[in-house]
Amino acid sequence: MSEMTRQSSTPLLKIENGSFAYKGGPQILKDINIEIEPGEILAVLGPNGAGKTTMLRCMMDMLHWQSGRSLLKGEDIRSMPASRLWRVMAYVPQARSAALSYTAFQTVLLGRSSRIGAFSSPSDEDMKAAERVMDRLGISHLADKPCHAISGGEFQMVLIARAMAAEPEILVLDEPESNLDFKNQLIVLDTMTALAAEGVACVFNTHYPAHALQRAGKSLMLSKEGWSIFGETTSVVTEDNIRRAFGVEALIGEVETPHNIMKNVVAVGISEDGSVGADDAAGQSAGGPDADEKVLASVTVIMNGNERAALVNGAFREYNHLLIGRMGLPHRSSDKYIINVMLEGPAGEIGALSHRLSLIPDISVKTTYE
Amino acid sequence: MSQRRDGRLGAAWIVILIVLPFIAAVIALGIGRMPIAPGEVFAVLRGAVSGGYSGSELVQKTVMQLRLPRVLLAILVGAGLSVSGCAFQSLFANPLATPDTLGVASGAAFGAALGILLGFDLIGIQVLGLCMGGFAVTLTWLAGSGKDRGGLSYIVLSGIMIGSLFSALISFIKFVADAESQLPAITYWLMGGLDKANYRTLSLGAPVIIAGVILFILIRWRMNLLPLSDDEAKASGVDIRLLRAVTVVAATAVTASCVSMCGQVGWVGLLIPHMCRMLFGNNHLSIVPASVSFGAVFMIIVDTMARSISAAEIPVSILTAIIGAPFFIVLMRRSGGWRV
Repeated sequence: MSEMTRQSSTPLLKIENGSFAYKGGPQILKDINIEIEPGEILAVLGPNGAGKTTMLRCMMDMLHWQSGRSLLKGEDIRSMPASRLWRVMAYVPQARSAALSYTAFQTVLLGRSSRIGAFSSPSDEDMKAAERVMDRLGISHLADKPCHAISGGEFQMVLIARAMAAEPEILVLDEPESNLDFKNQLIVLDTMTALAAEGVACVFNTHYPAHALQRAGKSLMLSKEGWSIFGETTSVVTEDNIRRAFGVEALIGEVETPHNIMKNVVAVGISEDGSVGADDAAGQSAGGPDADEKVLASVTVIMNGNERAALVNGAFREYNHLLIGRMGLPHRSSDKYIINVMLEGPAGEIGALSHRLSLIPDISVKTTYE
Repeated sequence: MSQRRDGRLGAAWIVILIVLPFIAAVIALGIGRMPIAPGEVFAVLRGAVSGGYSGSELVQKTVMQLRLPRVLLAILVGAGLSVSGCAFQSLFANPLATPDTLGVASGAAFGAALGILLGFDLIGIQVLGLCMGGFAVTLTWLAGSGKDRGGLSYIVLSGIMIGSLFSALISFIKFVADAESQLPAITYWLMGGLDKANYRTLSLGAPVIIAGVILFILIRWRMNLLPLSDDEAKASGVDIRLLRAVTVVAATAVTASCVSMCGQVGWVGLLIPHMCRMLFGNNHLSIVPASVSFGAVFMIIVDTMARSISAAEIPVSILTAIIGAPFFIVLMRRSGGWRV
């Protein structure tokens, strides 16, 4: 499916031909194949009842695949001891206020469980780790508040902190931004983006195709009929696929900000037939050139400091074959770096590169086509 | 005088929790038809440990033979019932789950009544009580926890059902029991009282309760994982099924031992853990030791009242309810209620 898989030996997380059905129910997940590398974000999309949560639970072996398997660094998750598995992977459940809740700090501390013996209590090191995580996510001020007395958005952040306290390499989030207001959605999504930029892989379920486009390099779209598509987000979250999976006529457009061009999805109406494979071969995004058409483009990146330089250069290196010219200009007095890259190649690939760059936090990116 | 950030008790609280049951016990040992000053009680106790008490023999006998077993039983039952109440609440993530509401106490009482009917000795009564208590909580669990553990009221409702089932079975036992000897014994015993306390009873029931209390104190931090949802608990990387199994077995064993020694004493398992939760929050680092200590103190006070406010002994379960219910309502209103 994905035409641009990086060549690495074993992916961080991989699902091979995962299929699942509840007892006596229809096959809701069929032949799921995904791969995730460190620092990548994968969005799992689909209408209600398509099995998004089921997919995450199977992936983590909370439900067992009927056939197929999940591999963590090449090792079958089912045969991994829980204490080892849950140091590499961490789970962020949907924020529901729980009976018998603890303070935020104590909740975060629970994330250290697999490192604390049955007859012990948290050590100073565990306490410091919890404090560090809360500090990193900017929620230190909540530490001593009981979790039932903070807002839904704050509680979601506490749950992310609890997961991060285990120092995992991959974070699995179940609808982290649903039930949150506009600002809190942004806080949660920004947190995910920032964690990914530091190398943590994230898998999240979402109801919002726009969040996949704005945040996730890869997407898995599930349908109620059991089919699924996995690949680069730009090739998965398309108007066509949204119509097929959700039965919704949607337009994918772009909103230009002074710093960036952000993709957005607008639902226009309920699809008349909702049938699979309506023969409307529209382009990937409204107004853009056809994916295969060879075009000339120029990408401009402005970075604050060189913190993100590795991510930016990594993206350009991967698309080296399209490069026809590059200009780097460090603006030392303001510690800003300006990079201008000229590309020639299929519009689809250039689009994928500029999407990839748009996922990197704290930088400004714009692509201009000929 | 507060908790540390991770939920551990501060030094001041630790001292209070250790000293308070001692003070309560020394005062209680002095109360009765023959009042004895706390200083004298203390001297007797010190004499019992290191020898060299030179006071009146009557005082020594009253303290050591009559009152001490009873106070020790009160400490054990109070600590046991409240710590297992605390464990059940967390296990079912439900503040209303207690030995009483889950049917454990009724099941254990049925087992014990059956033991009396069959003419078992105390060990037999205790073992039968334990088995039936475990059977009852298993039934409650099976009936009340369906697809998700989210429905708080289900578990309590099914506990009430199972409890009333065992109450009916107890009535049946009373019905078939010999009206001359067994029926009074069963009835009197069911009312709950610590007056049968002697060192022999204690030596049979105490080990289980003490072992259970020590176990809960040892695993108290890990008990924080109990109220989490299944998926969350699994994702903690801890063997949550083992933790839950250990908790339910230990809490049931402790409850059944208490019931077999002194009948059904209600309210303690609900009231004391709640009081601790209102004081310290839900972190088990604090509430397990606090439940143990406050449970013991509460039971000492209530039992001392039961044997001393009137010439005739008042069944202790009547007092726990009379004191418990209003006290609980006041606490609840003052603290702005608890989180359900």
